[in-house]
Amino acid sequence: MDASRDKTGLPPASGGAGRAPARRRLGLLDSSRGLGVLLLLPALVLVILFFLMPVVLTGVFAFTNMSTATGISGGAHQVSPGSLRVLTERYGMGELAERLGQPTYLVDERGLAALEETGIAPGIVASLRRGHLDESFASRREFERAIRALPDRPDTRTVKRISDAFSRSLANARFTDAGALVAAAEAIDPDLTPEEKDALASATYTGWSWTTDNFRRLTSSRDTTRVFFNTLFFVAMTLVFFNIGYAMFLAIATHYMPERPAGIFRIVWFLPRISPVVIYVLLWKWVAWDTGFLNAVLSDFGVRPRNWMLDSATQAWFFVIMINGFVGASMGMLIFASAIKAIPETHFHAASVDGAYRWQQVRHIILPQLKWPILFVTCYQTLSLLTSIEQTLLATDGGPGGATEVWSLWIYHTALNNYAGNLQYGYGAAMALVLVVIGIVLSLIYLRLFNYNALITRPRIEL
Amino acid sequence: MNGHQKSWPIILVITILSAPLVLAYAYLFVDTITNSPPGSVVPHEFTLEHWSFLWQTRPGRLSIWRVTLNSLLFATTSAALVVVVSSMAGYVLSRLNVPGRSFFLAGVMLLHAFPAITLIVAIFIVLQMVGLYNSLIGVILVKAAIDMPLGIWLMKGFYDTVPWEIEMAGIQDGASRFTVWRKLVLPQVRPGIFALALFAFLLAWGEFILPQVLAPSGNAQVLSVYLASLIADDNNFDMALFKSVGLFYIAPVLVLFFVFQNYLMNIYGGGTKG
Repeated sequence: MDASRDKTGLPPASGGAGRAPARRRLGLLDSSRGLGVLLLLPALVLVILFFLMPVVLTGVFAFTNMSTATGISGGAHQVSPGSLRVLTERYGMGELAERLGQPTYLVDERGLAALEETGIAPGIVASLRRGHLDESFASRREFERAIRALPDRPDTRTVKRISDAFSRSLANARFTDAGALVAAAEAIDPDLTPEEKDALASATYTGWSWTTDNFRRLTSSRDTTRVFFNTLFFVAMTLVFFNIGYAMFLAIATHYMPERPAGIFRIVWFLPRISPVVIYVLLWKWVAWDTGFLNAVLSDFGVRPRNWMLDSATQAWFFVIMINGFVGASMGMLIFASAIKAIPETHFHAASVDGAYRWQQVRHIILPQLKWPILFVTCYQTLSLLTSIEQTLLATDGGPGGATEVWSLWIYHTALNNYAGNLQYGYGAAMALVLVVIGIVLSLIYLRLFNYNALITRPRIEL
Repeated sequence: MNGHQKSWPIILVITILSAPLVLAYAYLFVDTITNSPPGSVVPHEFTLEHWSFLWQTRPGRLSIWRVTLNSLLFATTSAALVVVVSSMAGYVLSRLNVPGRSFFLAGVMLLHAFPAITLIVAIFIVLQMVGLYNSLIGVILVKAAIDMPLGIWLMKGFYDTVPWEIEMAGIQDGASRFTVWRKLVLPQVRPGIFALALFAFLLAWGEFILPQVLAPSGNAQVLSVYLASLIADDNNFDMALFKSVGLFYIAPVLVLFFVFQNYLMNIYGGGTKG
């Protein structure tokens, strides 16, 4: 095999890097199946890591209350005023909460030993042991007064160190696990019941937990309805007026033009698509801004300067739909134009002989031929508009007052970036799950409709 | 085509409709090198002050060159990943007899249609968990993975146009399937590989939302995020500066597009997101 390969008269390899592994894994690389699996592997890994896993995890996260506050890894146990309130209200253990919330100072052997280690004068430790062993104090002031009364008269810094060493308060203490928390609580109150321990552990937990609240919230929230209809309105308007309507106009108009101007206009209408989105939206902002183009032109006619993009909800929608539509129009334009080009010339000639007007040509010859391209563009753009986020985010950011907030932007504002700073990952994941499911269903329909299986040709070399 | 003599009304209408767009792009150039009196759009003096961002770094911001380097790194690496993975997988789907081939092909189509941006919440959390948040590596991997289905689909199309006879001849001469792919088929699809590389580069160069969410701050900032944060900063509103940075950022895109238009139009026509 190796020897015969040299006689094949192959063109010289550009890199030659593949030769060594080729010799080593000849068996694998020689069969269609082995090589196929090997070449598919990197793509499979990427698909599993960045498509399959995130789909599953979106579903998993949707059932948690993860947020900035809970963190994304496991949490800790913190005895805060908030968690003590939970203990009182949810578990009816107000008495326990009060006991844990109170600062306590207990002079015990453990504290004395710790104090000795900090290198404090042995006389102080001895007199503390003598005078106050096993005594407890309910407040810092009370305890520090007792320390000051010691024969050694410690200075203020030392007093603070001593009182810290005997502090047995749980208030604002943080524990990495429930065991440490319970142990610390038992040091204060040795007769905790198992129920009290469980309640304490769950009330002080700062991490995330499993919940179905996200979906309850999503179905009952008034925002859901508003954002849902916003999204519907946005997709329908952009699709009908620009991605299909205006795209069709551009395709037909350039069809009835000499080659040169047609090419120029196609490139002009392609600019929004090839421009990085940040610059593209910046140009729109320049048009609409208080001191922008529109105002400079209109001020000559005595129109009050304003931010045209954010002045009212209607204007905001107008701009959002145009900004998205201009980008989408180019795709339809290309697809429709190539479909029109595929119509045999003779159809048009026959129509001309019959004396058909241009409008009749469009209606009876061009439009019937565009049925499938229109369906294709509709399916494709519905999905991409449903999930479109960049243009709207950069243009209005959902404003004014949430008027142009669409579903995908809502996810962004909930889970990824907001002014309040509390990102609700779990709730956002639940919202995203809705889009993920819609996305999967629509792309399955799309696959069915355009029957991509028909495009597969059987391999002709069976090795 | 018929009826050329009567095409001027259409040209007139489409010219009027295109004028705002052309004007906006024209002013992207004009405003970066001129000043206009307030309330007017007619420039009255020539200046280079708006380009001072090239040699002056603003306090609290990365140098423009560092950001540009990040963008270049991001775009080239993710394009390279897309090309390598797609040219391997595309060949399998076009030619090789692997179990479940039609399933894979349908899967690629499904992934291509599926809006991957909906997964960003999960990806965001996972990147934070594994410590790739705010790093270029994380965004590069995600971007490459998202563009990959399109890449595989395009490469499959390019491989489909290569005549079977070439491979038949290679195999009859005793070459392994791997050698046939590497030395006979790959050179045939070189224009396709080039087009895909260019396309993936432009996609990543213009990408905004992924770096904005997955690597918004720190040393991983790319040009799109840098420009967006300049614009979002209400305290330093300077449209001419935004446009200058914008022109600096869009220039490579325009150059590549106009030079390699013919390569790119085919891909855009094949259906990309937008």
